[in-house]
Amino acid sequence: MSSTTGESVPVGTGHITCDLHSSTVVFSKLSSSYPLKLLSPRVAEHGVAIVYVMSYGGGLVGGDCMQLVVEVGKECKLLLLSQGSTKVFKTRAGNRASTRFRTSSFQPTPSSLSLQAVTTQSMEVTIAPDSALFLLPDPVTCFRSASYTQVQTFHLAGSASIVLLDWVTSGRRFMDEDWDFLRYYSVNEVFVEGRRVVRDVLLLDNSPYDTQTASESCLSNPTTRSPPRTLKDRLAPYSCYAMLLLYGPQTHGVVTDLQAKYRTISIFKRATPERFLWSLTPVDDGKGTVVRAAGVDTEDVKNWFKEVLRGLEAVVGINEYRKAFL
Amino acid sequence: MDTDFDETYVLLLLADSNLPTGSFVASSGFESYETHGFLSLPSTSNAGKGRAATAGTVAFIQDSLHTYARSALPFASDAHRAVDAFKNLKGEPDIGHDATIKKLLELDELYDTMTLNHVAKRASKAQGVALLTLYTKGFARPSGPSDEDHLSKSLTVLIDRLKLMVRGEETHGHLPMCWGVLTSVLGISLLRAQHLFLFLHARSLLSSAVRLNTIGPYSSQQLLLHSVRPLVEEEVSHNKDMHTGILMDMHHNDADNHPATTWPLGEILAVRHDLQHSRIFNS
Repeated sequence: MSSTTGESVPVGTGHITCDLHSSTVVFSKLSSSYPLKLLSPRVAEHGVAIVYVMSYGGGLVGGDCMQLVVEVGKECKLLLLSQGSTKVFKTRAGNRASTRFRTSSFQPTPSSLSLQAVTTQSMEVTIAPDSALFLLPDPVTCFRSASYTQVQTFHLAGSASIVLLDWVTSGRRFMDEDWDFLRYYSVNEVFVEGRRVVRDVLLLDNSPYDTQTASESCLSNPTTRSPPRTLKDRLAPYSCYAMLLLYGPQTHGVVTDLQAKYRTISIFKRATPERFLWSLTPVDDGKGTVVRAAGVDTEDVKNWFKEVLRGLEAVVGINEYRKAFL
Repeated sequence: MDTDFDETYVLLLLADSNLPTGSFVASSGFESYETHGFLSLPSTSNAGKGRAATAGTVAFIQDSLHTYARSALPFASDAHRAVDAFKNLKGEPDIGHDATIKKLLELDELYDTMTLNHVAKRASKAQGVALLTLYTKGFARPSGPSDEDHLSKSLTVLIDRLKLMVRGEETHGHLPMCWGVLTSVLGISLLRAQHLFLFLHARSLLSSAVRLNTIGPYSSQQLLLHSVRPLVEEEVSHNKDMHTGILMDMHHNDADNHPATTWPLGEILAVRHDLQHSRIFNS
């Protein structure tokens, strides 16, 4: 297992560059700085490499800012995994070495903090011709009052492929957390040959609107007003939401399987919601596919993905695929 | 704009539920929500069955408005702003044509890449082109060319060009972009256009609830006047200053005022619309 921690790189940054040298993936760059940590285990499968993206202590606190640059070279297959869910701790205003501030322009009320330390993760990926990235981390878990921003940008060559999983849970169940974080903001943007094909932006925000402004002029009295919906109200009864994006030739096998599975669904009127739901939609005229899923139990969501993506064994190797969805 | 009816009159016209805009066949995921059993969730069913269905309907409208105001409204706003800017080039509007069309197509394209939902896209395109057709066939002045001023002629040409591009599949013709164009061309202020956009979304959800019989027609009016009214106002005031980033800076990804989906459950259910064994709506 190789790991590098360069002292010269700025705080919380990482850089992965890999290329293929006679069927072996070689990292010309694998560097990171605290609190980011990159580990690459030995891989038997030809043309395949795995990198674990982790943070020291297994979690991120308010103000942490991580930036990762990834360059997947020609004909490489790179799996980016994590070890355990990304835990995002409570936001606190502070000035750590890796702190960035966000000014909240939409809740300028004196009572709320206008300056908050947000945890941010950003990833900028380029994927060369005939290569593929498999980004299959564990879900992000935001603790009570945490604020998290994740921005991931992917630049694909025309013949490149990507499998991108982005998922979030409602918090720590044993702490009775159920969508109690402050804010979760996730952007996934995919460009193919420079053309934007998908921009997925999810905002899960728990801060209520400043209701004073809207209601005063209304005929409605307080009793007819509907109570504001919390994040938990909107997302119930599920505690895990996932978005999976598939694009490019190396995803055709699993996409065909998913489409076939999706076509067999026929919904009859139900009295109560199912414990697990998923949907499939084509993007960019069917050249890509987006799957969304939600589950009462995170474990069910994980097992479902592990099963439906099993076709990737043929692409990255059985032993390599086994390292995802542990 | 030199029109002989004022803004209120145009607003009344646009709010007419008989306009052929196709909104009567769209439930924006409500039918699927009901089929999947979400109307009777514990959080809304502490009363009798009828009360639970009403509470569930209002909950859907709240969540749907919340995500629609954040994801679609900025596109309507920016399209309106783009055409308003075009109108301000009074002297030589023809120079602005291509630049304005270009911005509108960029907005349309970005909306399409952000709407990861083929059912919603289908409904949005059908309603968008219906709005453009409504203008060219219904709202454009019937009079001869001589008594029209240069600007209104130029605006009619703008919409005609846009419609042809949608028909020729050069662009998608999504509802938010078309709404912004139509309302600006008709001389409606940005704020009124934003308010009406969300009001019509909420009202069409209530109409579909009546058709699906989750609420009655009187209850629908009552909800529209009392419960939905503050919700629409709230969403307008919270989202009126949002931008798509097309007219200004695009690559500021941590921006607090850019479009986003806020209700992933709504997305899943809306995409699953076509999987329903029987259905009466198109979305």
